[in-house]
Formats: sequence, structure tokens, C-alpha cells
Amino acid sequence: MRFRGGYNIKFDGKPDGLLKDVKRSEILYLPLKSRSFDFSTVCVDHGQRVGLGEVLAKDSNHYDVPLLSPSCGVVNLEKTPGHITLEDLSAGDVKSYTYQDDQEHIHKNVGSASLKRKLLNLGAWEFVKDAYTDRMPDPLSTPQAVIVSTVQLEPFLVRGDVLLKESLRQFTRGLEHLQSLLEYQPMYLAFPKITSDFAAKIKEQIRGYAWVKLIEVPLKYPYDNFEILSRHIGLKRSQGSIWGVNVEGVLAIDNALTSSKPCVERIISVAGPGASQPVHLRLTAGYPISAIKEAYSLENTITINGGMLTGRLLEDDDKGVPAECRGITFIPEHLSREFLGWVRPGFDRQSYSASFMSSLCSLFPERVTNAIRGELRPCVSCGFCEDVCPAGIMPHRLHKLIYQDDIDAVEQFRIDLCVECGLCSFVCPSKIELMQQFKDMKQTILKEKEIAAAEAAKEAAKKAAESQVDTE
Amino acid sequence: MKLLFQLFEKVSPIFKEGGKLSFMRPLYEAMENFFFAPSARTLCAPFSRDPLDIKRYMTMVIIGLLPCVAASIYFFGLRVIPMIIVSYMAGGVVEVAFAVIRKEEIAEGFLVTGLIFPLVLPPTTPLWMVAIGCAFGVFVGKEVFGGTGRNLFNPAIVGRCFLALAYPAAMSSSWVEPGHGITGRLLQYVTSANVEAITSATPLIHAKHGLFEDASHLVLGSIPGCIGETSGLMILCGGIFLLMTKVANWRTVASILVSAAVLETILNAVNPDQYAPAMWHIFAGGMLFGAFFMATDPVSSPSTNEGKWVYGILIGAITILIRNFSGYVEGMMFAILLGNIAAPIIDEMVFSVRLRLLRNE
Repeated sequence: MRFRGGYNIKFDGKPDGLLKDVKRSEILYLPLKSRSFDFSTVCVDHGQRVGLGEVLAKDSNHYDVPLLSPSCGVVNLEKTPGHITLEDLSAGDVKSYTYQDDQEHIHKNVGSASLKRKLLNLGAWEFVKDAYTDRMPDPLSTPQAVIVSTVQLEPFLVRGDVLLKESLRQFTRGLEHLQSLLEYQPMYLAFPKITSDFAAKIKEQIRGYAWVKLIEVPLKYPYDNFEILSRHIGLKRSQGSIWGVNVEGVLAIDNALTSSKPCVERIISVAGPGASQPVHLRLTAGYPISAIKEAYSLENTITINGGMLTGRLLEDDDKGVPAECRGITFIPEHLSREFLGWVRPGFDRQSYSASFMSSLCSLFPERVTNAIRGELRPCVSCGFCEDVCPAGIMPHRLHKLIYQDDIDAVEQFRIDLCVECGLCSFVCPSKIELMQQFKDMKQTILKEKEIAAAEAAKEAAKKAAESQVDTE
Repeated sequence: MKLLFQLFEKVSPIFKEGGKLSFMRPLYEAMENFFFAPSARTLCAPFSRDPLDIKRYMTMVIIGLLPCVAASIYFFGLRVIPMIIVSYMAGGVVEVAFAVIRKEEIAEGFLVTGLIFPLVLPPTTPLWMVAIGCAFGVFVGKEVFGGTGRNLFNPAIVGRCFLALAYPAAMSSSWVEPGHGITGRLLQYVTSANVEAITSATPLIHAKHGLFEDASHLVLGSIPGCIGETSGLMILCGGIFLLMTKVANWRTVASILVSAAVLETILNAVNPDQYAPAMWHIFAGGMLFGAFFMATDPVSSPSTNEGKWVYGILIGAITILIRNFSGYVEGMMFAILLGNIAAPIIDEMVFSVRLRLLRNE
């Protein structure tokens, strides 16, 4: 598949190349729920003193992926619901940590399996995602291919080049580690289609690795999406899982396998049009969001976990930075209502259509709010959603089929190819929540399939029992 | 501005649920959102949206039509203005009535229908006929199907078609000879009583008898014809503006014009005495106006880009066939109606091809 659709929205408030360390916090709030994990099996007791890298909780549905303690401290399970609170933090030093695998001697001969277990236990495995399902793959499985992406195009998330500039050597070492986990499966490196000194330098470094295939990606959102990349390469879903790893993941893998240290530190972006000073921050999971908000946000903003197009709203109940957080975005709240805004020439507006005077000048970043900027209307089939859709499906058609509740047709029109990039909802002049409808519909389809499978299993069991009676 | 906002705040309880005038809520909301940007905020991702909304989208079409309106006032006189007002009022009443009955918001689509409709009528049409036609078009062409976004036909064409069938004499025999002076008929109010201004034939009627008007008159618009359709130059100005804003799809326009031109070129080559040259036909009658402003209506045209090509080719070809081989002088209206009927079928065909391609992904 060729790259198609996509749209680069220019917004004010992108993080610059700066990387800052945060002030130490007195208290850490570790949320038990993150985007794809639910750490429901708590492994520590209230009041217990834990050391750095100790397992606080596990997600039994996802191969026991651990929630690691980012610091030494005392566990408080009662203070905030839905969180494990760490108090009385003492300076835990990552250097003093030693990884102990009591099963290591058993697995020594197995090689890659033991390495993968190590990755899982040290919290590096959660950076690996299946390209098609966006879930963490089975650590003991072998993929059909691995895609490493250095491109990050969603507005306001951590830029791959910021991480690479920090640690190019670790990155290449991480690639080697990653390759050692594979058995001759191809590895693709998605690289931005740009010419700069830094890009040339990285390319020079990669040239030595014959097993890495370079794919050049045009810098247009959301071509960095792993599903789009695998479809671009021509990897079929039916031929096995595809691992997608971004720069952060490669660095975590290097950290876990080279120095056997737990991956508790992460780099996130704090940005958006509502940020007073967009930066990259080095911190640990559980860092209080209120502290970040106080230091980097303007007044009257909403806080989002993730990027502006695909993130989730952080409510007041969310106290700490979740485990999988890649960025925190601040967006100013919509407070004032513009007078006759729809007939103004619109020099200050950036739109996908060319309906504003601003389309006569070159593109400029726009300072936006969280306003919907219009009223909900029926779809007029303007076709903008189809133009921007990178997956090659027809959002307007799907919307109408969902409205008719025709689930079979929705499946036929390949709702499963939707990568949930959010562009269709963004450009829709009728302000229809297309992405949200598709997400809900996918859930419904999944549930129906589960029910159907359960019923089929019941039926089969019944038939087997009947046939047994017959033979008896 | 502040005073107005306070006024809205003050009267809003009357229209809220349980208030005295709660059944008029759609009208109140439309007025409030007309003056002040809606207060709604995003609740789910993406957390910010494109500034374009349907109001702006429809405004672009209205801006695109303004050159035609200006040209029509210049050529046919001030009577165009009351026609537009009556058309807006009739369409608006139907739209608001349906919004109130359905308890839905008032959609902005009638702002375009109300302006396009008088532009496709002869300049002498009585005002009551304008009102009936527009109301019929909005009612049967749109509201019966469920309102904006669900209509099968372009409402303005349904209204025009109704008038053409119900009052054929008024719709086809009495035209206004445009003013040829510098001021045109700018300061005149021409009705069917002004005998000196009335003519019985348009260039297309002459063409039936093998008399072809000078093409330069067609481009400028100094010919008898429907109000907004005569001035090719002004239609091109507004139409190209629409294409540039991405509100009208260029595929529809290009395929209509190219297919009509190709077919007519062939006919012209066969018998130049009977069939006019391609460029003449493109500028004559409602071809340009229909291609730029009526066929491009996104709701009633196919929703796929490939479908738009087929749709355009169909309209262009049918227009030329009707103009040259049937008793009717103008074919654009029927061609677009036929295109509207074919649009869902064209879409289905494109869908089936696309699904076959998607199946392998």
C-alpha cells in the first residue's frame, strides 16, 4: 500500500529539543490502570517498605507485566483510590540495583526466552506493541517482523530525534539486542524522509547493520503508526504478529539487557497550546500531575494523557503520571464565544479546507482551544474524512452504516482497518465524533464475536456429550 | 455585542425545557449560534477541531454565488432582489416548521437552496410562483427524505422541475431581453408587463432552428435566459472560488464539462450547421451554472471520488443529448435529476469494487 491521506496540523506549543529533569517529588501516585494495562494483582502490603525496581502489582491478563516501584519508599494502598501511593521516599539509586533471576540458570540454554523474560521483569517489554492490535505481544512468541520507528508525528508527543540525540550509541546497541531476540525475521527501521546532518549521521551508523531494512517515511501524520507502516511494507496480518518498537522502547531494551536495570525512568513531553513552556521531561511513573500542571500549564486548561488527537482526558481523580504515558498535553479551555465568527475572514484560522483567508498566506501555527467550533449536523458527504484517512477506508460510509446499526456491513467495510488516528473527527465540518463511534463499534463487534464464540463452544460441548451418549 | 449576549442570556430560560416557548427552541438556538460561536467543548479525542463548520461551508457557496447575483441584477433589473427574498422566506418557513416539529436543529442547507432557486428561474416569474416552487423544493426535495444530509435530490432542482411541469408557459415562453447600455437594467424593475423588454426566445431556442448567438454574448451574459445562468464569466469567477475552497469537488465539474465538450465536438464535426461548437454549448443555458453550483451539491452527488467522475460524465452527456435530440431546449435540469437518481447506484458500484480491493488487506 502506498502512503495515502494524512494531514499535518500546525499547532502552537510543540516541545523544543530541551530535555529537563524534574524536581524530586515527596510522594508518587502510581495509577493501577493505564491505557492498555490493568495492574489489578497487587503484590505489596499496606505500609510495606519497598526498594527500587520491586514489583508493586501485576497485570495477570497481560503476561504478568509488572508495575515496578520507581523509588524506595513506603507503600500506602488506602490514600488514593485506584493508585498505589509511595510515601517517605528515600533516594533510591538505580546504580545500586541488581537484577536477580532465580530461574536464570534454568533458562540459560534457551537464550532468547530468558532475555525476553528479563525484559518483561525489568519493565522494558511493555514498550513493544503488536502493530495490528496495538496490544503487548506474547513475550515468548516470535514475530514475523519487527518495525522500529524513529518517527513521532502526533502533535505534542516526544520527538524521536530528541531521544536519539541524547543516546545514539545506546540506540544502536539496543537494535543489536533486539536482533538477538529474533530468528532471522526481518527488522525494519522507519526513518524520516529528511536530509539533515543528524539524519545522515544515523544513516551512516545503521549502514553497518545489514539486517536492518531502512524505510523512509514522509513526515505526515499519522504515517508513523505501526499498522500503517506494516501495511506499507506489505506485511499481512494473517502471517503472524508484527512487533512495533519506538526509540523509547529500543532504549529501554538496551537499558534492561546491557545494564540489567529496571526501566523506571521515562521521558515525556509536556506541551500543547496551554503549556507555558513546552519541554521534554525526564521523570518516573507516578510523578504527581498536579506538580507538572503547576510548573508548566497556563490557567484554565484541560490536561490530556497523550497527544492531542488520540490522547485521553485526565480527570481530577488521576493523580500521577500513568505507566505508559508518552506525553502530557495542555489545551486551553474554550471560554469566550466569538461574535459572528463564521463570517469573519479568518486570517487567524488554520483549516483543512481553504475556506478561510489564512489559506492565502503560508501555513502558520494556530493557538487553539478545546472548542468543538460548530454545531452537530447530519453528514453532508463532503468527503474530507475520506481524503485524510490514512487507512483507505470510508469514514462517512461507516458512520452511516453505524447509524443504521448494520453491523455486518460495517465489518464488510473494514472498520478493523481504522487506526484511530483521529483525523476524520478533526476535519469533519458536521462535527461528528467519527473516531469515537468507530472505537465503540469495534468494542461491540469484539463483544459479539466473544459471545458467538462462547455459544459455539457450548454447542460443540453439547454435541460432543450427545455423541458420547449415543456411542454408549 | 455585550448587550446582545446579555439579551440572549435573559431570554434563554423561556426557550429551555419547561419554558413558555420551549417548542421554539430550535429557532432560538439557531439565532444564538448565528451571533455567537457555539459553547460546546470536546469531550473525547481529538481535543481540538478544525475551524470549518457547516455554517461556514454553506457561506462559501453563497459567496461563490454572489458574482452571479450581481450580474443578474445588472442584466435583469431590481426585480431579482424581491425574488431572492421571497425564496428565502418560503424555504425558511418550511425548514423552521420541520425543525420545530422534529425538535431538531435548523440546518443551514436552505440558505443555499434559497439563493440558488431564484437564480434558475426566468426573470419574469411571478413572486407567488417563486414562493410555491421553493417551498415545494425544500419540502419534497429535502424534508420528506429526512432533512439535510439525507435528501436524494437537489432541492432547488426539484422546485424548478415542479414549476416547469406545473406552469410550463410561465417557465419557458416569457424572457427578459437584458439591458445593453452601460447601466444595463440596473435601475429598472422589469415585470412581464414591460412589453418592450420581453422576448420569447433564448439562445438555446434559437439554436433549435440553427441560429447560433455570438459566443461573446454568452460569455458576458447579455442574453435572455434564467436569472443567474446567463453570465458565463461571473459563474466561472464564483465557481473557481468554490473549487479552490474545496467546498465543490473539481472532479464533478471537470467531468461534466469535458464529457459535454467531447460529445458536442463529435456532433459538431458531423454536422456543423445543425450542432453548435462545444464551447458555445458550454456557455449557453444552465450548463456552467449547473456544473459548478448544482451538480456539486455533496449530498445528492455520489460520495466517492470515482463515483463523481461517472456522475459528471453522465450529466454532461445527457445534457448534450437532450439539447440536441429532444423536444426540450435545455437539458441540464433533467440531466442533474437523472444524475441524482443514479448517484446511489454509482456509489454502490464503486463500493463493491473498493471492498474487493480492501478484502486483501
